[in-house]
Amino acid sequence: MSDLAIWIIVVGLTLVTVATRSAFLVLGDRFKLPERVQHGLRYAPACALVGLIAPELALADGTLALSLANPKLIAGFAAGAIMLATRSMIAAMAVGMLAFTALRLLAA
Amino acid sequence: MLKRVFGADPAIAARRRHAFARGLRAVAPATIATGTWGLVTGVAMVKVGLTTAQALGMTLFVFAGSAQLAALPLIAAAAPIWVVLLTATVVNLRFVIFSAGLQPYFRRFSLGRRLLLGYITSDVGFALFLSRFVNAPEEERGSLEQVWFFLGMAAGNWVAWQTMSVLGILLAAQVPGAWGLEFASILALIALTLPMISGRPALVGAATAGVVAVLGAGLPLKLGLVAAVVVGIAAAMSAEVVLERTGAGA
Repeated sequence: MSDLAIWIIVVGLTLVTVATRSAFLVLGDRFKLPERVQHGLRYAPACALVGLIAPELALADGTLALSLANPKLIAGFAAGAIMLATRSMIAAMAVGMLAFTALRLLAA
Repeated sequence: MLKRVFGADPAIAARRRHAFARGLRAVAPATIATGTWGLVTGVAMVKVGLTTAQALGMTLFVFAGSAQLAALPLIAAAAPIWVVLLTATVVNLRFVIFSAGLQPYFRRFSLGRRLLLGYITSDVGFALFLSRFVNAPEEERGSLEQVWFFLGMAAGNWVAWQTMSVLGILLAAQVPGAWGLEFASILALIALTLPMISGRPALVGAATAGVVAVLGAGLPLKLGLVAAVVVGIAAAMSAEVVLERTGAGA
C-alpha cells in the first residue's frame, strides 16, 4: 500500500475510534438504538474477529489446508485451548508461537 | 503542572487527585494485559510493513488495539481502504454499546469533553467504571469523584498501552522475519476473541462467521469478511430463537 493510503487509514481509523466510542455520549439524548439492533450488535465483534482469524488459519496460499501439516492451524488451536484453560493471553500466545515455530522447523 | 491538571482551588484539587489516584490503582492490575497487547500490536504493525513513522502515528492516534490488529491483515493484503475502515468499525461496535452505558454519567458535559471521554474509553475502563458506579445514587452521576476516577483509569491504561506499543515498534526491527512473529498478531486476536464467545448463540454465530469467511476468502474487496459478519449475526439471532423455542436456554 502507498504511504498516502496508510495515512488515510490512520486518520480514518482515528475517526472510527472517536465515532464508535463516543456514539451515544454524543447522540444519547436525542436518539435511542432499538433494543433488537443493540441486541444483534453484541454478536458483531466476535463474528468479525472470527471472520478475520479463520481464513488465516484454515487457508495456505489461498487453498483449504485443514490438515495436521498446516502449522498455523495447529498453533492457532493450541493457543485457543490454552486461552480457554488458563484465561492468560500471555500463556496462550507463548504456546501458540512455540507450536508454530516447532511445527515449521519439523516441516523444513 | 499539577495545578493545571487538577485546578487551582486546593479543596477541589485534592478531591480530584484522590479520585484520579483511585482510578489509577483500580486499573493497575489490568495494565499487564494492556501492555502485552500493546507490545504485540507494536511489533505486528512493523512486521506487516508499516514504517516506524506510520506505526507510531497509528498507535498514538488510533489507540484501539483490536481495530488496529484487525486492520493489519487487510493492509497486508492491500484491501480497499473502505473495507479496512468498515472492518475496524465492526470490531469497534462493542464501544457503541459501552457508550450507551456511559451516557447517563457523562451526558451533561460539553460536546468536546464527551468526545474526549469517549475516545479514551477502554474495554477494561468501561467494565471497571460501570461495575463500581452502577449502584451509586442517580444524583451522583457525573460527579467529580466519578469523572476523575474514570480519568485516572484512562491515564494508567493510556500510558501502559502507548509505552509498550512504542517499545514494540522500536524493537520490531531487531526481530528477524524468520521468527514468524507476524503470526503473533493472529494469536493475539484469538486470545481476544475467545472470551467474547460466551453462550450458545454466540458460538453458533462465530462458527458460522468462520465458515463463511473461509468459503468467501476468494471474493474481491474482502467481501467474504463482510458476509461473515452479516451471516454470523443472523445465525446467532436465529440460534437464540430456536433455543428459546426448544427451552434449551442460552
